[in-house]
Amino acid sequence: MKISFAKPASAPEGALVVTVLEGRLLGATGQALDAESGGALARALAKSRFEGKKDQTLLLHAPAGLKLDRLLLVGIGKGKGFDAKAAQGLGGLVVAQLGGSGDAEVTLAIDLVEGSSLSAAEIAANAAFGAKLRSYRFDRYRTKEKAEDKPSLKKLVVSVADHGDAKKSYQPLEAVAEGVFLTRDLASEPANIIYPETLAEQCKALSEQGVEVEVLGEKQMKKLGMGALLGVGQGSERESQLVVMRWNGGAEGDAPLAFIGKGVTFDTGGISIKPAGGMEDMKWDMGGSAVVIGLMKALALRKAKVNVVGVVGLVENMPSGTAQRPGDVVTTMSGQTVEVINTDAEGRLVLADALWYTQDRFKPHFMIDLATLTGAIIIALGDQYAGLFSNDDKLADKLIAAGKDVGEGVWRLPVDDPYDKQIKSDIADMMNVGGREGGSITAAMFLKRFVNGVKWAHLDIAGVTWSKKDGPVTPKGATAFGVRLLDRLVADNYEK
Amino acid sequence: MRIRFASPPGPVSARALPAPSAEAEALLARLDQNDFKAEPEEVLPILTGEGWRILVGLGERAALDDSALRRIGGNLFAELAQAGIVHLAVGLDLSPEQTAQVAYGVLLRAWRAPAQYRKTPDEEEIWHLAEVTMLCDAPDMARTCFARLEAVGRAVHFARDLVVAPGNVLTPPAFVDALGKIPGIELEVINPNKAGLNLLQAVGQGSQYKPALAVLRYRGAGRKDRPAVLVGKGITFDTGGISIKPAKYMEMMKGDMGGGAAVAGALMALAARNAPINVVGVVAIAENAVSGRASRPGDVVKGYGGLTVEIIDTDAEGRLALADALAYAAKNFTPSKIIDLATLTGAVEIALGFERAGLFATSDALAEQLFAAGEAEDEKLWRLPLTDLYDDAIKSDIADLKNCSWERGPDHIHAARFLQHFVPDDIPWAHLDIAGLSEAAEDGPLAAEGPTGFGVRLLDRVLA
Repeated sequence: MKISFAKPASAPEGALVVTVLEGRLLGATGQALDAESGGALARALAKSRFEGKKDQTLLLHAPAGLKLDRLLLVGIGKGKGFDAKAAQGLGGLVVAQLGGSGDAEVTLAIDLVEGSSLSAAEIAANAAFGAKLRSYRFDRYRTKEKAEDKPSLKKLVVSVADHGDAKKSYQPLEAVAEGVFLTRDLASEPANIIYPETLAEQCKALSEQGVEVEVLGEKQMKKLGMGALLGVGQGSERESQLVVMRWNGGAEGDAPLAFIGKGVTFDTGGISIKPAGGMEDMKWDMGGSAVVIGLMKALALRKAKVNVVGVVGLVENMPSGTAQRPGDVVTTMSGQTVEVINTDAEGRLVLADALWYTQDRFKPHFMIDLATLTGAIIIALGDQYAGLFSNDDKLADKLIAAGKDVGEGVWRLPVDDPYDKQIKSDIADMMNVGGREGGSITAAMFLKRFVNGVKWAHLDIAGVTWSKKDGPVTPKGATAFGVRLLDRLVADNYEK
Repeated sequence: MRIRFASPPGPVSARALPAPSAEAEALLARLDQNDFKAEPEEVLPILTGEGWRILVGLGERAALDDSALRRIGGNLFAELAQAGIVHLAVGLDLSPEQTAQVAYGVLLRAWRAPAQYRKTPDEEEIWHLAEVTMLCDAPDMARTCFARLEAVGRAVHFARDLVVAPGNVLTPPAFVDALGKIPGIELEVINPNKAGLNLLQAVGQGSQYKPALAVLRYRGAGRKDRPAVLVGKGITFDTGGISIKPAKYMEMMKGDMGGGAAVAGALMALAARNAPINVVGVVAIAENAVSGRASRPGDVVKGYGGLTVEIIDTDAEGRLALADALAYAAKNFTPSKIIDLATLTGAVEIALGFERAGLFATSDALAEQLFAAGEAEDEKLWRLPLTDLYDDAIKSDIADLKNCSWERGPDHIHAARFLQHFVPDDIPWAHLDIAGLSEAAEDGPLAAEGPTGFGVRLLDRVLA
């Protein structure tokens, strides 16, 4: 779907969307149309339950006195509190309502919203962003889809008085949307297409946007002593990879921000094999790495003024004659040893080496890792919040604030010493599991042992990476949860 | 076991004989780092010519807060109760306040299941220790400090006694009787069937014992002071009902009244120390039994206040009993705030394990007070989300609400949201899911394996 910005037309044609405030208050465009139609809109409003509450819609076909084929009235609630997130929701709603309506082109008319702190141009840009995000579709493997099942909407025109400003505001948002789309693509791709080497290839493609990419293979990782990461991948035919992506948009010498992603391209569980039901979901057990890759693309596309390093540990966890066994003891790059009690608690093993490597080599300002790490987090917080664990209150607060702004909620959970005893091993420095109870916390406690004094936050995104339901700006499927959150974190706090 | 306070023969730091400090130094000189590091809670008994001498590690003096002192006391008891020592004098060169805290730790740890459940005492559980004398420079002051702590400590023991009681002993009427014997508390027993507490009735209707709503009143302030209301889940035994639980570990379900026990204990503590506040305790008491009269999955029941509930799972009964208790409390007692405690869900154990209880609150201020009280008392909490984002899970096809969802997910959050429907928005409310904390699977500094009395100290502090 293409998006463009234009001046409002004097006599609009085709399909048009206008906004209505709570209390059936039409915006400027709506009022003009109402006048032109001899009060038809006001009559339609009066005869319906539509009050202009947020997300209410009223569709009018070929309204009398107007050249329009279709007019969609969308409620936006109260003007006060109509923020960027609400504007994005508006755009998303338009796509959801009219994406398959038969219209190839739809115009969304944006007026100044009384009470909102946003300018009309900012509302327009954010509505366009929301529409773009909601229009995502992963359909490359549908070879015989009927025309009527495909979206009809090809072009969304956002009409607003200062359309030049809107277009300018939209540019960085579009960059973020590109990053989101890349993340969703990568998470949606099946595991026979995306495996460590091909995912590394996807990373390399970011060099087009100016990202420096370096790929380490098993030989190099062995030399570095990454016994934990390599142990996870040793049952697979595919070679494990560690990819380093660097975006140097900040001042030379500034310590980079580091983002680390778990990239288990498929997780069978290994010898501790998972039950068959639902195992296909494990293709997106590389969701954390997909977020890091998408984030790097977004930052590069919008030329963020900051130094960032993204590190993703890419492995496939397979059972085989060469796979690691429960009870194996592996030595991590940090020198600490781990008794692998459950080969299905593999993500933390990958992250252990990736985290250590990152802080050792890059001396980052902070490290934030993302991982579809535990089933326990799905019980703890469900699909509404990601779990946030951090050794730094300020960093945690910034993440919570960014999450609220973009609608990707994170909820802080404890990383307290009392939980540490659950991962004590009889023969090694630690075990890789600590029992069912507090399972997400003990996973975080494990990771914490590989953080050496650096500010650190860990996001357990197992519950939010894939959605069974459509969200305001996220169609069901891969959500790319984390890209917008971290982009906002960087933009609000770390760009000069 | 008795706890006394006395002056040492001379100032603790400079005494003739027995002079712990000088003697301790002499003993220390004979030990190396591997024997004794003087870390907090370390205890090393040494048999000397004068009898037993015990070295107690205190760690850094600057780090000796109340929590550390209690743990030292608790651990001292745990190490020495069965060591053959009958009288123990403890001179740690601490202030009277600090000495009282150590004694409090001793008291908290010095609990075991009442002897009534055995014909002959278990050899391994016999305490030789009969008296602990806490030595400090101003024993009267220490005694005064301890009086208040002791009131709370005894209440913690009471709560543990209730939790450990088997389901055939602590039946609903026996629970009511026990609540009626708390000194300084006025008990009113409400018949759920007559009062329209139909959800509580539905939970208990399969049992041979009638359910009851126990109202415990403590008046420490003027009549006009709106009371704080504490609500506890008091399922004396939870079979799960028709949605019956697996047999394995079902005996643990005698403790499914841990929330009610905490509420009872808190009231006992407040009354014993004459706290200047008004508090109402409400305990929803029922046995969730299996029988021909039991509630069925799919039953729809109208709760107190009028909301209807579809019972999807008869084993999600705690929230039903609490819902009526909360609605009743809100309507009848003009609460300044409501805090409920319940061993409510298994999910909260997956979320927070055994170190912290789940805290849900509609009031940030109340949540912060509870969190801080938990940190101070080592009855730790962690706040979890309470938002309408989760409400799809408790939407029923035919009633106002259903009591849970079969989908894998945050049942503890769903339960909290369910309860919220029964509390008016204008009353600050907090819900503590203590399923992981009411009983401990291993020995801790202040409680051995078994019931902990979790919640009593927390509530006592937050209301004080």
